[in-house]
Amino acid sequence: MSLERKDEHDHKGWMESRELTPVESVYLTVLIWLDRRLRVVDYLEILEDLYYKVNMQMPKSHTEQYNLDNKFWYWYPLYALGSFSTVAYIVAAISGALLGFYYAPAAAAADGSPTVAYDSVMLIMGQLNLGYFLRSVHRWAAQIMVAAVFLHMLRVYFTGAYKEPRELNWLIGIVLISLTLVFGYTGYLLPWSQLSFWAGQIGVEMSLSIPLIGEWVAQLMFGGFTLSQATLQRMYILHVFFLPFITTAIIAVHIGIVWMQGIAEPH
Amino acid sequence: MSDNDTDDVRTDGSGTGIVSPDDETPAWSERKERTQGLSRLTYEYFERARREDQDLRQQSDYVERDVLAFPAWPHEMMRNIALTSFFVGMILFVAATLPPEMPNPANSSVTPAIILPDWYLYWSFGLLKLGPLNPDLSILGGSKLMADRTYGVLANVVVVGFVAIVPFLNKGSARRPVEQPFWAAVGMSGVIFSLTIAALSIKNLAPIAPHLLFDLTFLVPIISATITYAVLKTMREGYMFDLNRRYYRLRPPK
Repeated sequence: MSLERKDEHDHKGWMESRELTPVESVYLTVLIWLDRRLRVVDYLEILEDLYYKVNMQMPKSHTEQYNLDNKFWYWYPLYALGSFSTVAYIVAAISGALLGFYYAPAAAAADGSPTVAYDSVMLIMGQLNLGYFLRSVHRWAAQIMVAAVFLHMLRVYFTGAYKEPRELNWLIGIVLISLTLVFGYTGYLLPWSQLSFWAGQIGVEMSLSIPLIGEWVAQLMFGGFTLSQATLQRMYILHVFFLPFITTAIIAVHIGIVWMQGIAEPH
Repeated sequence: MSDNDTDDVRTDGSGTGIVSPDDETPAWSERKERTQGLSRLTYEYFERARREDQDLRQQSDYVERDVLAFPAWPHEMMRNIALTSFFVGMILFVAATLPPEMPNPANSSVTPAIILPDWYLYWSFGLLKLGPLNPDLSILGGSKLMADRTYGVLANVVVVGFVAIVPFLNKGSARRPVEQPFWAAVGMSGVIFSLTIAALSIKNLAPIAPHLLFDLTFLVPIISATITYAVLKTMREGYMFDLNRRYYRLRPPK
């Protein structure tokens, strides 16, 4: 075998031999350029397979099969609660990212004087253009997300949608609802007001009362047995770093499973 | 390669276009077949699952349709956009009309009259106040097995754990509440309990005697479960009659 490069596949000549529109030739040029480097063709089959899986023909649903649609239309709003909580999550994420430009998680003390965190929230509410509205949107999106998640769980329970083959997604849902509550709790602590402080106090005592690992949990989550700067710092990082990544990933899995398994209609 | 291209040229059958370099080298399918232990089992199971899929597709309730449902674009998408913007608009409207308030800065030396988490944690907060149910065990000389607050945290774990294992307790194909009155009653008592335990968590605000509230916290869910069960049992007969009538009209008995 010689080391001299032989171009057996004259793609350029092939392209010239055909009458291509500009769009087609640009497309082919890009495709060939990418394929020479990444060998896209090896993955085309996977993509094709994926495409057909996504557009898979589902069996007729029970309501379709027995033409019961006219009996069930009034149920359908209940089936939107999952997407409503997702929409509220997205609204909270956007408004939260904007709030993050102005908020600073620094608590010097808990002696009744305004801390840096408290002052930055006051600045958002008092000085910043539309800041009060932004905080309001973030708070209400969070409240509505929690409410929608609870109602979503009730809908799933009362329509028996957790049954085989959807047990796994029910368990993932339990994890998600817990994460939502932790999200709410950590966010509740961030303004470092009286309510935040005493809610944090309850949290520390709850974790301290866990047998065996209580002190360890309190150290990990609250940065000590009394509330301090460390507590606020940890709540902040949980709220803006850990929880968003974890929750978004699990939501993606949750919705992906729903997509694969289809909606469980009542029957 | 391209010299001896004929109709009966075969790759290894998996359709990847990958050809073994010589006869000694096993094809992928052969390699899979030759594997041992867990990977062999995986291969065999996948083969079975593929066959099962094939059978399912050939069965009659897999309906071949040109159009699955509403076309995704524009029908489905426009509906989704309309619903989403309505919902986002609702959030913005509520946020504009009911802005949050800001309490005083944190002060560890002043205990506020009301210590509460956000409303969605009331149930959890209420479960922390179940100390009176923590049994005094005579075997321990009348002392308690665990501290009241440990008991409260444990109650949280028990409640969440029970909700988590529901799919493994309630099996079968029944879906609607009328078809499973017991589990509907369990769910109803759960909903009511989450409300009553939330009321218990704010017992210093509730205009009702604390002991009465504590008793009602557990009595009301039981009563509502009983009522739900009775109502659904009563509804069930008429419902089953309708369902059977529709079923047998569609599929007359032979």
